[in-house]
Amino acid sequence: MQRPQQNRYKRRRIYVRRKICRFCADKTLVADYKQPDLLKSFITERGKILPRRVTGTCAKHQRRLTNAIKKARIMALLPFTSGHAIE
Amino acid sequence: MKLRHYETMFLLHPDLSSEDREDAIQKFSKIIQDDKGQIVNIDQWPLRKLAYKVQKQTQGYYVVMDFGAPGDAIEELTRNYRLDERVMKFMTTKLDDEFDFEEATKKYASNEAKEPQGQAETSKTDLEEKEE
Repeated sequence: MQRPQQNRYKRRRIYVRRKICRFCADKTLVADYKQPDLLKSFITERGKILPRRVTGTCAKHQRRLTNAIKKARIMALLPFTSGHAIE
Repeated sequence: MKLRHYETMFLLHPDLSSEDREDAIQKFSKIIQDDKGQIVNIDQWPLRKLAYKVQKQTQGYYVVMDFGAPGDAIEELTRNYRLDERVMKFMTTKLDDEFDFEEATKKYASNEAKEPQGQAETSKTDLEEKEE
């Protein structure tokens, strides 16, 4: 009785489309601290860096992205937190 | 002395006139050149809104310089950034241990159109929306 139900449950797993790394997809795209508009898509409303599992960025590019975002924050191109942001 | 490839960015006070800004850029380029450095490119951004207040200012002029210089020049450059009151923020990063003037110039010749323009536009992406 239990068996078929379990199987059905297993089969009905939610299919999540595998996200691809934007930097791998577009080789010309580089995580650069001078392009805050690009980096903005990898941070939350509050200014936190989005994790890899959310954005699908590969490990190599996530490392570079993190560094770029941190540099941009230092140069006041991106906010450290929304609490200090202007507007 | 061995030249390395660097990039420096500094933020100038928003109340400066264009001559003042030009003067500041001249001053810092001269420091690099005096130490046997070679400047590849100077990129002046238009007045830009800052992400947070810096010295009580909400805007500023960014200048990005791409250059090759020996390590000692960076020390001197940093010292002068600190002394100069027109500079609100600065950062120098090493791009590469090797510097080849020809090679570095090439990048700008072909990339002219692709240079990022520093205009703030709040573009919402799907990612940010998902977050909420």
